[in-house]
Amino acid sequence: MTDAHPAPHKMSARGVSVSYGDKQAIRDVSIDVDMDHVTAFIGPSGCGKSTFLRTLNRMNDTIPSARVTGEITLDGEDIYSSDMDVVQLRARVGMVFQKPNPFPKSIYENVAYGPRIHGLAASKGALDGIVEQSLRRAGLWDEVKDRLNDSGTALSGGQQQRLCIARAIAVDPEVILMDEPCSALDPIATAKIEELIHELKGRYAIVIVTHNMQQAARVSQKTAFFHLGQLVEYGDTDNIFTAPRQERTKDYITGRYG
Amino acid sequence: MNKPAPEAAPARAPTDWKTEAMQKRIRRRYARERRFKLFGMLAVILSAAFLAFLLFTMVTNGWRGFTRTEIALPLDFPAMAMKIDPAQLSTPGANLALAGAELEDKVSNAALAAYGAQSVPLLSDAAWLKVREALKADPSLLHQKKLLWVPASTQVEQGLRGNDAAAAPLAKKLYDAGKLHTGFNAGFFSESDSTDPVAVGIWGAFKGSLLTMAVTFLIAFPIGVLSAIYLEEYAPKNRWTDLIEVSINNLAAVPSIIFGLLGLAVFLGSWSLFGMRVGPLLPRSAALVGGVTLALMIMPVIVIASRNAIKGVPPSIRDAALGIGASRIQVVFHHVLPLAMPGILTGTIIGMARALGETAPLLLIGMRAFIVTPPGGFTDPATVLPVQIFLWSDEVSRGFVEKTSAAILVLLVFLLAMNGLAIYLRNKFETRW
Repeated sequence: MTDAHPAPHKMSARGVSVSYGDKQAIRDVSIDVDMDHVTAFIGPSGCGKSTFLRTLNRMNDTIPSARVTGEITLDGEDIYSSDMDVVQLRARVGMVFQKPNPFPKSIYENVAYGPRIHGLAASKGALDGIVEQSLRRAGLWDEVKDRLNDSGTALSGGQQQRLCIARAIAVDPEVILMDEPCSALDPIATAKIEELIHELKGRYAIVIVTHNMQQAARVSQKTAFFHLGQLVEYGDTDNIFTAPRQERTKDYITGRYG
Repeated sequence: MNKPAPEAAPARAPTDWKTEAMQKRIRRRYARERRFKLFGMLAVILSAAFLAFLLFTMVTNGWRGFTRTEIALPLDFPAMAMKIDPAQLSTPGANLALAGAELEDKVSNAALAAYGAQSVPLLSDAAWLKVREALKADPSLLHQKKLLWVPASTQVEQGLRGNDAAAAPLAKKLYDAGKLHTGFNAGFFSESDSTDPVAVGIWGAFKGSLLTMAVTFLIAFPIGVLSAIYLEEYAPKNRWTDLIEVSINNLAAVPSIIFGLLGLAVFLGSWSLFGMRVGPLLPRSAALVGGVTLALMIMPVIVIASRNAIKGVPPSIRDAALGIGASRIQVVFHHVLPLAMPGILTGTIIGMARALGETAPLLLIGMRAFIVTPPGGFTDPATVLPVQIFLWSDEVSRGFVEKTSAAILVLLVFLLAMNGLAIYLRNKFETRW
């Protein structure tokens, strides 16, 4: 990392466009995502930031009309090539959704599900270990350690979202994509998630979509500003918020539209 | 921000909520609500009344179907001089041997000897069968005199119940002399169809229904649920799948007798294929062909119910599972199907209940035959409860009226049990969010 040459990017997108049927959702986006960084995507509603996020682990595959062109690589491998197994890709590039969506199963089962289907734990003890470690990293262990068999849906909204983060961590991903993870949460729960993102960034490359600019400024090191399906500006968060190069970025972060 | 203010509207007078017009409007609103509630209540009461009337009629007509009048019959077996070896009675050939020894005539003669010639028959057609069973159970009877209670004829039974004027005086006389008694008719649950209403039972039809339902379930449930999964989770949404959806919805509304014709033509018909005669594919009148035909009939119902249940599973659960790298089939079998199961089971059981009550298609494929022995397997000739009810309802004898109502009660209990099971399963597997 401290090499004279810049470290290769964890994920790179080159000239990515996405269309739903006739409608072009994003156009010609190129961006790099690095380890040890939190990358924030900001922009007004409908600007395509979530759509772009979902191309990074091919969640758009589930929408029949979606068509992706351009190239996205993970460690230099094209994730849309036919050699790439989408199931493995999604294990390596985990995702946390806007609305907390724990499975209607026990807390333990929620976290254990991923390792189990990918065969990551050799024994029951190893699985227990993974569950505990994931819940600890998600900052939820102390709150739930005595009720691992309770339903995941019985937790509060903020706890549910941290459970979803623990579930994503449990399969040991390299990248975690977060799609507006705090938009359904109250300020206290939001603060906890942001704190968690800080702690996790050393271990995973994190990409977060948010429409809350303060949040982007607080948690990210790199920020990408999307508008009308285009990447307007991408750079260090400090620069974007203090000295944006583009007029549109400046208008947005000063609240002229959005 | 600085748009010109819209043209100033004329100043609005403050609303007076206490004017006569306003009060009237409020009264009207309440009246309308009361009226609506009244109509709703009337509708509920009316439907409850119809149901109560149906049950009342069935029970008043049918409870006697569960009872049987028996007549005391003194039998002097040594005097009958039957040419039969007692050892033969414990062999499988016993029935044949006793029939050869003219047991039926001898039993009739015993009745003649005991009660003299009467204008109506005293014994049920099945009376000698009861004597036969008694002999088989205890061969030593051949050397004894014995008083046996055997089923009385339907005329005597109905005379005793005041339904047969011609036989009433005789029945009254016999009853007063202690020669008749009426008790619970266990045979109704263990015997099958007969020409004599006193001797009929529903076991054969019940067993036929069970066998038919088993075939229906084993075919319709897996195919229906898998089709629903394919259509919801895998099939592309295009004109073809729209066409399939419309076809399935239409199939669910096709009159059941059409499915009977289909079953008749496809499973029981024979046709020539490349110069070879093919078919019939399945045996006529059997639970197998009935079950397959009914499976075709309820499959659309199961597909529709299952699709709706699968649609009801929130997409966020699919996203969650896909997001940690579950494959499509893991998403379906680990998450979607368990959550959709209560709805699928409810739809399936409603479909099965419909199949259980179905008569018309089964008439066409020959399940209306007169079946005296309960079916031993899926390919034996069989009938089912609703067809049995239909057959008995055609009979003129008063005895069959009771038996028809009694069989309807059994069918209703069976249906209620199935619906109860549906509710139980739904509550058991339901996920609370």
